[in-house]
Amino acid sequence: MSNMLLEAKEIHTYYGASHILHGIDFNIREGEGIALMGRNGMGKSTLIKSMLGIVRPRHGRVLVRGDDYTRARTFQTAQQGIAYVPEGRGIFKSLSVRENLLMSARAGVDGRREWTFDRVMETFPRLGERINNGGWQLSGGEQQMLTIGRALMTNPDLLILDEATEGLAPLIAMEIWRIVKEIRKTGIATVIVDKNHGAVTSICDRAMILVKGQVVFDGTSDEIRAQPELIQKHLGV
Amino acid sequence: MSNKSLDIIHDEHRALAAMLSGLRGLVASIEAGRLKPDFELMASMIEYIEMVPEKVHHPKEDSYLFARLRERSAEALPIIERLEAEHREGDARMATLRAALEAYRREGESGLAGFQGALKTYIEHEWQHMNTEEHLIFPLARKHLSAEDWAHIDAAFLANDNPWQGPAGKYAALFTRIVNTAPAPVGLGGG
Repeated sequence: MSNMLLEAKEIHTYYGASHILHGIDFNIREGEGIALMGRNGMGKSTLIKSMLGIVRPRHGRVLVRGDDYTRARTFQTAQQGIAYVPEGRGIFKSLSVRENLLMSARAGVDGRREWTFDRVMETFPRLGERINNGGWQLSGGEQQMLTIGRALMTNPDLLILDEATEGLAPLIAMEIWRIVKEIRKTGIATVIVDKNHGAVTSICDRAMILVKGQVVFDGTSDEIRAQPELIQKHLGV
Repeated sequence: MSNKSLDIIHDEHRALAAMLSGLRGLVASIEAGRLKPDFELMASMIEYIEMVPEKVHHPKEDSYLFARLRERSAEALPIIERLEAEHREGDARMATLRAALEAYRREGESGLAGFQGALKTYIEHEWQHMNTEEHLIFPLARKHLSAEDWAHIDAAFLANDNPWQGPAGKYAALFTRIVNTAPAPVGLGGG
């Protein structure tokens, strides 16, 4: 499919002897938004890491725009326009906000530079107020904004957010969702891993639910929102 | 079938819950001596609650969702009448909360308990109100409203152009200002 960005086919991933992902198929097209949901330990982050080469699947294939990236190193996959905002944020605490942003600046796959330093500042005015502060001086919410801003500086075609609001106060989480919604409108494909099904399904067009390393639901956000019993059963809310 | 209007109400409830939780967190931190009161911030949070759920969210529910459901379900009628009565009392409840904040501002530390009590009452009421809508009204609406009803209700809600943020982003700006001003861990501002 010409507009397919990232695909996983029949992925099996293990941690030691533990079989975590059981033959998962996943795909995302240009501009699409997918809410990847499930309880803790169901394999959401492992699926992301398997596709990015952070964890090596034992079986299955990973394709980026139709090319085989199963054995690619993480930076090679990232260079294909895939930006990853990891759980735990991973900012460089010894660098300033400005340095954290500038160190990741690069053109997108097709040479476009839509996300400039100034545009990131417009999107996250709070970061502008903290521009010369060190990463270690930022609150959790500011660190999260910095991580998303840093990802945007790579001019990605696909943005992957893993537990972007984990541990943040509800007001800050709402503000982050508001900003992510704005980013979605620019046409960047997005995978959002989060437990807040209401927020993510209002941002994404598609939703997937993982249970014990298998996909138990893959459909539109409208479909999942119309089935509160499914949400109750698999997400426990 | 997904009902856009119910999704929107859910989203708005979530935003209101976040604001109420933030205000409660601020007051708890003040009581614990971790923060000094920022009356402008607390007034902004109350303004947001007043401008959005009271002035925009509740009238939409009354005019569209409740109006259709009261024609379709006798079972829903007493619940709707109670919820509509609570909506009508909204101005008075907001006035009580605002007055309690003003008293706190005027009286200083001795006014904190009064404001905290008024806030607790307001939050408990809102919580119960939202729960009634989500756990009693939504299932009845799903059961009794027709596809034509939903089309009418959804169109009205969607035409309202994301009222949580306001047509010109007015409330989004207020929301962002509150988040940026409120001290951590409630918001992003300095302590």
